[in-house]
Amino acid sequence: MAEVVKRDIDPARYDKDFLLRLYREMVKQRAFDENLIRLLHEGKVSGFYHSGIGQEATGAGTCASLRDDDYILYDHRGCNQMIAKGVPLDKIYGDFMGRLCGTTCGLGAGIVHVAYPEKGVLGQSGTLGACFVIAAGAGYAVKVKKTDQVCVCYFGDGTAARETFHGGMNWAGLYNLPIVFYCENNEYGISTHYTKAHALKNNIADRADGYGIPGYVIDGNDVLLVYEVAKEAIERARSGGGPSFIEGKTFRYRGHFEGDPALYRDQAVVEEWMEKRDAIKNYRARLIAAGAAAEEDFAAVDAEVEKEILDAIAAAEASPMPECTRIYEGLFVEGVV
Amino acid sequence: MKTISYMQAINEALLEEMERDGSSVYFGEDVATMSGAFGATAGLLDRFGPDRVFDTPIAEATIAGAALGMALAGLTPITEFSFADFVGIAFDEIYNKLGKWNWMHGCCFKIPVTIRLPVGVMAGAGPEHSQSPQALFMHSQGLKVVVPSNAYDAKGLLKTAIRDPNPVLYFEHKVLYGMPGEVPEEEYTIPFGQAEVKREGSDVTIIATSLQVHTALAAAGMLAGEGIEAEVIDPRTLIPLDKETILASVRKTGRVVITHEEQKTGGTGAELAAILAEEAFFDLAAPIKRVGSADTPIPQSIFLEQEFKPNEEKLMSAVREVMQY
Repeated sequence: MAEVVKRDIDPARYDKDFLLRLYREMVKQRAFDENLIRLLHEGKVSGFYHSGIGQEATGAGTCASLRDDDYILYDHRGCNQMIAKGVPLDKIYGDFMGRLCGTTCGLGAGIVHVAYPEKGVLGQSGTLGACFVIAAGAGYAVKVKKTDQVCVCYFGDGTAARETFHGGMNWAGLYNLPIVFYCENNEYGISTHYTKAHALKNNIADRADGYGIPGYVIDGNDVLLVYEVAKEAIERARSGGGPSFIEGKTFRYRGHFEGDPALYRDQAVVEEWMEKRDAIKNYRARLIAAGAAAEEDFAAVDAEVEKEILDAIAAAEASPMPECTRIYEGLFVEGVV
Repeated sequence: MKTISYMQAINEALLEEMERDGSSVYFGEDVATMSGAFGATAGLLDRFGPDRVFDTPIAEATIAGAALGMALAGLTPITEFSFADFVGIAFDEIYNKLGKWNWMHGCCFKIPVTIRLPVGVMAGAGPEHSQSPQALFMHSQGLKVVVPSNAYDAKGLLKTAIRDPNPVLYFEHKVLYGMPGEVPEEEYTIPFGQAEVKREGSDVTIIATSLQVHTALAAAGMLAGEGIEAEVIDPRTLIPLDKETILASVRKTGRVVITHEEQKTGGTGAELAAILAEEAFFDLAAPIKRVGSADTPIPQSIFLEQEFKPNEEKLMSAVREVMQY
């Protein structure tokens, strides 16, 4: 059985710069997302968008312990994680708007298909669940290269039901690979509550035990708890201690995609999460209560982030669209390995 | 030159390329301690050790997906499925991921993955262990498709596959494993996209792949006794495809028969026929004929599986038919 980790973490144990860095990461993700939805309504974005609002503690808390050369496979609300890992915002907006400055050089991407190797972002597939087996391969590569890199594989509760979940977890346990599996359990896989999609004793993370992988269940909206438990898992992986599995309980505020009215959810539950369990709101209150930061600290960060976001959007909008011939470029790489 | 089997040619290519590329790994079902379902990986574990050569769980989707992950993280992964039919288990990982990953992520990666895929009817292996699924991947995008028909091609093309920065599906015919052939003592590779004229002839072009190259050569020998000189072309790689060599031959002979062990409908010959119809229609003196396997699943009976697949008789009959024009 997975360990249900509950800690009353005193923010005063951490220095103020670090605490505000976590705050900045979370508000940056939310501001990115809110502005993306605005751009979507303005007709500037190609394709579908799967908002990650409400789930910002995941990327902020985990990526704080990752190096640039560590790998991530982000999930379906994965802008949060790719932003936290350091993909430039103008490149992500550029992908959503199909501009040349995007990581795909104009092909277009949005959540899936953003890759940024210099920050270890290996990409993501549109059919979810390949992350488990791709992570297994990336983890195995670290073992062969004898480096101390770590791979974090993010996925939602819906994806945790994919067949590849078993394949990837089995390799990770069998070969003792440096992988941290992070399940963002936001309760719904499209319209289906996770308890209707999984045969569970208690938690999804309980499954890790069968693979000999330590499993943890945490409040995924408590960014300090996410940070601490992920840090321990990442350090264990980095030092040869093998894989870990973390299930962060969280909630998505919006529908599966923008335009989904999400009538399958009880609105009272949504409001409960937004009012009482919001990662950013609670973090601010907690830091203020502990005397670790003040309102003006947050206001300064908010203002900086807003400028960063608007500058990134302006840069992306200033970037040209590709020529139509772009689709014929790059199918095969020339040369030899 | 030395004479070795098709299987030994594969084995030599693996040993040489893994020696050459220290980032290469070989993994798959029963490949390390048992040397693979057919023995092609003998000696790899001893030479390169258990980190670079290892047995995996029997789970092809994981094998193919992990190959992609290894490539993204800087390795040169080489793997195999025990039977090519198992591509069905890993279809998403091969069709949607391996081939498309680099393009759909803006072309910032190399994906030097090679997957060996044993194809073909042999010894009553039955409907799910005998198929030739090449056409599925000729239709996909971003995968190279290799179909070696003899020891020389098997070695030279496998070495090229392993060095290629793109994913390569290497379809090898099980009946060919024991077939001897001449290969040079010295190192060589064969570029992709170069068809070979396996037999010259002036009356009709037979385009044949994999084991059917040998059926075509045997048929051509017998047809010569009837005064029909058949030219036998082996494309060797279907992606990329050497259209020029094929078109030059067809323009010379004006008649063409395409043969493969894949089922006829939707087989790779359908694409070849369409290319010829588009690009050589006015050079043709007769309709294009295809000789493929029956459009049925493959029977397990060793008697009926012979009926299922093309043979010299069926091929000669098709050639005689196009010679009527």
